[in-house]
Formats: sequence, C-alpha cells, structure tokens
Amino acid sequence: MKPLAALRYGWNVKVLGPAALRLQRWQAQRRPARWDTRYLAPPLRIAPRTKELVARHWLAGRYANGYRKVAWVTSGAPVELLKALDFYVLYPENHAAICGTARVAVDLASEAESAGYSRDLCSYARTDIGAVLSGKTPVGRLPKPDVLFACTNICQTVLFWYRVLAEYFGAPLVLIDTPFVYTEEAAEHAVRYVRRQLEEAVPVLERIAGQRLDERKLRQVGLLSKRASELWLEILRRCRHRPAPISVFDQFIQMAPIVEMRGDPETVDFYAALLKEVDERIAAGVGAVKNERKRVLWDNLPIWYRLRYLAEFLAQHGVAVVASTYTNAWGELAPLIDPDDLWESMARTYIYPILNRGTGHKLRTMRQMVEEYPLDGAILHSDRSCKPYSIGQMDQRDRLIRELGVPALLLEADHNDFRVYAEEQVATRLAAFVEMLG
Amino acid sequence: MEPGLPHIPSRAETIRSWKECGGGIAATLPIHYPRALLRAFGLLPVEVWGPPRVDPAPGAAHLQPYVCSIVGNALSFLLSGGLDGADVIIVPHACDSLQGLGSLLLDFVRPRQPVFPLYLPRGRRESDLQFLADECRALYGKLAAATGRAPSEMEMMESIRREEEADRLLAQLHRRRRTLSLTDRAFYRLVRAREYLPAEEFAALAHSVLDAPPADPRAGIPLLLSGIVPEPMALLDAVTERGGAIVADDLACCGRRLYPPGTRADPFHRMAERILNGPPDPTRGSPIAERLRHLVQMAQETGARGVIFYAVKFCEPELFDLPLLRRGLQEAGLPSVPIEVDLNDPLSGQTLTRIEAFLEMVAGQPAEEVRR
Repeated sequence: MKPLAALRYGWNVKVLGPAALRLQRWQAQRRPARWDTRYLAPPLRIAPRTKELVARHWLAGRYANGYRKVAWVTSGAPVELLKALDFYVLYPENHAAICGTARVAVDLASEAESAGYSRDLCSYARTDIGAVLSGKTPVGRLPKPDVLFACTNICQTVLFWYRVLAEYFGAPLVLIDTPFVYTEEAAEHAVRYVRRQLEEAVPVLERIAGQRLDERKLRQVGLLSKRASELWLEILRRCRHRPAPISVFDQFIQMAPIVEMRGDPETVDFYAALLKEVDERIAAGVGAVKNERKRVLWDNLPIWYRLRYLAEFLAQHGVAVVASTYTNAWGELAPLIDPDDLWESMARTYIYPILNRGTGHKLRTMRQMVEEYPLDGAILHSDRSCKPYSIGQMDQRDRLIRELGVPALLLEADHNDFRVYAEEQVATRLAAFVEMLG
Repeated sequence: MEPGLPHIPSRAETIRSWKECGGGIAATLPIHYPRALLRAFGLLPVEVWGPPRVDPAPGAAHLQPYVCSIVGNALSFLLSGGLDGADVIIVPHACDSLQGLGSLLLDFVRPRQPVFPLYLPRGRRESDLQFLADECRALYGKLAAATGRAPSEMEMMESIRREEEADRLLAQLHRRRRTLSLTDRAFYRLVRAREYLPAEEFAALAHSVLDAPPADPRAGIPLLLSGIVPEPMALLDAVTERGGAIVADDLACCGRRLYPPGTRADPFHRMAERILNGPPDPTRGSPIAERLRHLVQMAQETGARGVIFYAVKFCEPELFDLPLLRRGLQEAGLPSVPIEVDLNDPLSGQTLTRIEAFLEMVAGQPAEEVRR
C-alpha cells in the first residue's frame, strides 16, 4: 500500500465522497419523479439510497489503485474468494450497463470499433473495451486491474473479452471454467473440475493480494452472500402478489448491489430495507403499475437505454412486467450456498446459473414462473449481444404459446447498442402483443 | 481431378463403403473431439462444417439471424435430412453458438439419432487435462450404451496410434505444402479429407502424395491464412489468380488441429492430452500473445509475407482477437487483411477487390525478414 494512495483513498472515499453522496441523496429524495406517475407508482423511497450505495462502490474503485488490489470480475464469478482477500471488485458488465443507461455506451463502443472491434461483438464488451481505450467513463475513472477473474458460467464471450483485457493491462487472467450443463444435473466430474479450479485459484489470488486466505472470513463472506441472495429472492417473490409491488424495471435498477456488492454487509442491510418497503407497498395496496390488468414475464437482459420508455408504454396499457428470468438468476441459487461446506457448495452454485444450463431448463423456469406469479404472457428480448441467452428463444416462445396458451413476443434488440433498436417496430410489436393479452 | 492429386473418395462414397462394412457414422460438429474414441466404437467421424450453400430456411425457424452460418447451416442441413445417415451426432463445445446448437438439438429439435455434447476446457492446466479425460470417459459410457460395444483399453490405444499416425502425416503435408506440386485448392481438398476419411485411408493418401519427388517451390506471394474454414473454396482460386500462394494456415479446420502425439499410457488421458496440446486456438482459451507468437513463427518458417484473416460473420472467438493480432503482426512487419464471410454467400466482388488490393500492397513491399 502506498502512503499517498492511502491518504487519497481515505480522504476521498471515507470522508469527502460520502458527505457529497449524502448531499446528493438528500437532493434526490426531494426531486420530483422522472417516470410518468399517471401510470406508474411513485419511485421507491429506497431509490436514492441505491444510487448512493452504487456511487460509493464506484468511488472506492476510482481511488483503489495503490491502496487496494483490484480485480475485474465477470458477473457470475465466485466473488466470495476475492472479497475474503480484500480485493476491490469491479464488474465490467455492470460498468457497461451504467454506460447503457447513461446513453454513452454507443460512443464508447464506437471507440472500440475504431480500433477494429467488430460491431457483431457483444455490446458490453465493446463498451468496456472502448472505455479502456479512451479512458472515458461516466463513473469517473476505472481502476487498473491487478487480476482478471473470469468465470464462463454466463457465456464464453467473457473468456474472449477478458483475454483482450489481459493483453491491454498485462494482468494475469484467472479462469474458472464451468462446463455447460446440458441436462438436468451437472456431471460429478464437472463439479469436481470447478471445485479444483477454485482451490487452484487461491494461491494465485493470495500472491496478488499479498495475504493468506482466512477461511473464517471466507465463511463470513459466504454467509453474507447467501443472506443477500435470499433477501433478493424474497423481494422478487413478493411480485407474486397482485398488484405486484415492484416491476421488473424496478428490479433491473435495484439489482446492482446483488451483482457487484455480493458478500458485503451493506448489501444485506440494503435488501432488508428494500424488502421492508416492498412489504409496506403490499400492505398499502400499492402496485408498481397503477392499473395492473395483465402480468407478463421478461426474458433476457434489459434494454438498458429504453427502460423508462418500455415501463411507461406497457404501464399505460395496464401491463405490469413482474417477473424476469434475468433478475431471478441472482436469487435462485441462494439455497445452494452452504457456508459450512463452502468449497463444494460454491462449485455447485457457480455451475448452475440459468445461463450455464440448457434451453429446455430455461423453458421450464419460464413455465414455472408463468404458473407461480401467475402471468398472462411473456416478452422474450432477443438480444443480439447475448447469444447464450437468446439461442433457444424461438422454440421457447413457440412452446409457451402452444403448451401454456400464453401470448409470447420475441422482441429484437440489443442490451446496450441502440443502433440495432428500432423504436417504431418495437412500439408496433408491443401494441400487437398488448392486444393479444386482451 | 486436380493435377498431382490422387483420387479422393467423396464423403458420400466414404460413408457408403464404411456402412457396407458394418460401421456406423458419427456426424461431428466443429472443432476438437477425440476421433480415436469414436473409431474404437466402429464409428467413422464425418465432420459437419456448415456445410456451405444449403437452404438456410429450416435452421432459421430455430436460430436468430445473428448466429453464425456454420451453426445455422448445420441445423438446416440436419433438418433437411443431410445427417440421416448418421448413427450419432457429436456436438463439441467451442463457443456460445455451438453450445446453443447442442442444447437445441437435445431439448427441442430432438433428431432421431442420439446427440452427445462434449465440453472442451479452456485451459491447459492439469485440472483441464483431468476434466477432458473424464469427459472422454463419460462419452465412452454414452457410446457404449448407444452401440452396445465396449472397446478394451488395448483397442482404444490401437485406435489412438492410428489417428496419431494420420496426424503425423497431416502435419508433414502442411510442412511440405509448397513443394507438393498441388494448387491451394488441391491441397485443401487433400488435407480436408481428414474430416471424413478413416485415418488409415487418409494415411495411404498422404503417403502417395508425400512419396512423390518434391517439386520446385510454388510461385506466388507467400501468404498465411487464418480463420475457421476456407469456404467458399473459390477464395483459394482468387488468391492464386491474383498472384498469391497460401504457404501456411491457422484455420480451425486445418492448422489448429495438428495435434502432437500423446505420451500418456491411459487412453482417455492421452486423447485429452493430444487435444489440449494442439496449436493455439481461441476456443481453447489460448492467450492472444501466444497466438501472435505462433503466427509470427509460422511466417518466419514459411516466408509468409502477409496474413489473410478469413472470419465467418458473427464468430466471436475470431473477431475478439483480430485487432490485437493485426497490430502485433504489423509490428512484426507482417501486413494483414480481415475478410468476413457468410457460408451461404458467394465470394463478393468487394472481397475479391480487397484480396487484390492486399496482394498488390504486399507485393509492393520489400520482402523483409519477419521480426520477432
């Protein structure tokens, strides 16, 4: 740790920054709602706190180099190991999503494209590579990674992307390769393989972190991770209530801490507070959509740059999007985490995300959601930038229509690149879909 | 028949005669898989790289247009009855699209034949080797259930040695390609016969070419070809007609599968070891720097003066590496050109112009030694 860096970190992250962010939060609490409250409930009271929590996370990253070791991590990676070793953990996918909502993703992607990266590559990857090449980012500054930690349980793209980052930063790449689960159960040798890789990663990470892994601390992080995931799942399940207290668009915004701050005590506190507010809404009969007539599922990543438009358009027609395979992914595995058998349970937890499972499994998840929430239809975002999530959707849509009798819409777009999004077409297709819902 | 090229049986002929002898067919998707294991079960692996120029409509009912044409065509081909003669379908894991195809086949399309996926680890650690050996062992179990056969360790080792010999000859063909008196098209017809010929037949074919007296090195601006698959083959004619000659390749279907012989005594470990020790490949997670070193070294050994990156549209493993590879090659004194293709499209006028301009540019540069 460098003394000047420690001083800078202490002053900015622990003194000045929090004060400024508290002030911003106070101001935000007094600002009128931006989304159309004629159709939508007023914003969640916790929203300014979410913003503050997320901003504090990125602020810490801005001053981390020289003070803490930094790991860049894929969103489905076993982050508990890094947290227990005191790494500052940065999620490039989350950064790219922030760029998407801030509508700077295409500018950054263009920087990557100018350097030769094809427009057919994932727009998250292009956004982040563009940010690395240009130094531009809406979060102030991205710290350089001391290690890149990639887990293939969300896609193979991350491997190709992190290999590029490894070259740009000259940082070591630690890979946790999670064999794809084609059938209901992962093969035992696949679980063994993941566990072995987790164990093999420890000495590498210890060397970079400059400290030994404390098993008690790891267990504590595991407990916090499990607790936060359980709370998140509870929050999502509250949407089985009619009217749903929050929509999937709220979930997309509120999911940032469970992705990038899993294993922190603040994250548990945050979701406990969110659950409390959700319960208050239920008690008061407040629905995310004021006139909830129909309830639908969202499949795949959000269209980050059009969240508000989609929320308002659907709400205007009394359609509440109340469940999502995407937000569910950060909660559904909570029961698998066992802090008393952490290594084995981590191997199992991290091999089973929905994106690492077959197309039939996703259909079964959707069917279950349709029944449990209960839902009247499904919107499947065919995301040009996410092949593992999107391949299979055409058959999944057909089965939902044929076997469950629910209208299902395949909506062509991209999670971050608005150049492949056609609003007129989307509006026409959504209008037809709403009509089919009745 | 191409001059200098012995008769190469077609896929259809090979499949027919193999079946007449009581053998089965394993339709196998790209890229890496244990050929020897399939052969030990009496299954002849016949690879499905697309194929090009099929009606894409049947596949388009299941796959979005942003999925590459290798995967889209493979599904269309299967749905049109192209794989009806196969007894099993093997889907090795190489990328998200092939993963999706394997999953679709198992869950929704459900062809008549059993579908066996095979996961390819992305590293070369001991744990990767152990996992791939376990994956091969698991595949053995599935094949045993499907065929009712249970080859012994000795039979598997025999099969492995047969494949190793064929691969040794394949590597020799690659090394001696410039003095084989074969055009590029003929050379690729020959080496790509490895995708469907039994190893022993391929070995005999390779011997007949390698035993011929060496010819004078073929004229033309020496080039290196990188990518997935040299389709349409008209690409090779276009390069030749414009004064170029392919002297080495880093193609997924060819140069990236020059597996070295194994050393392990256990057949499953040996099959795994061979696959993992192959030349650098993005789908196996090889670092970009390693790929770059490999390309530069190939250029030094063969005198290649430029590189054509021939990528299938939407192929992430290829496209992610391109900018850094091109930059590194440029620094080493090797110009390169990226070309994107769709397997269903003929070579466009634009592509031909780019190849021509590239060759003119390379020809205009003094032939310097490639820098490390």
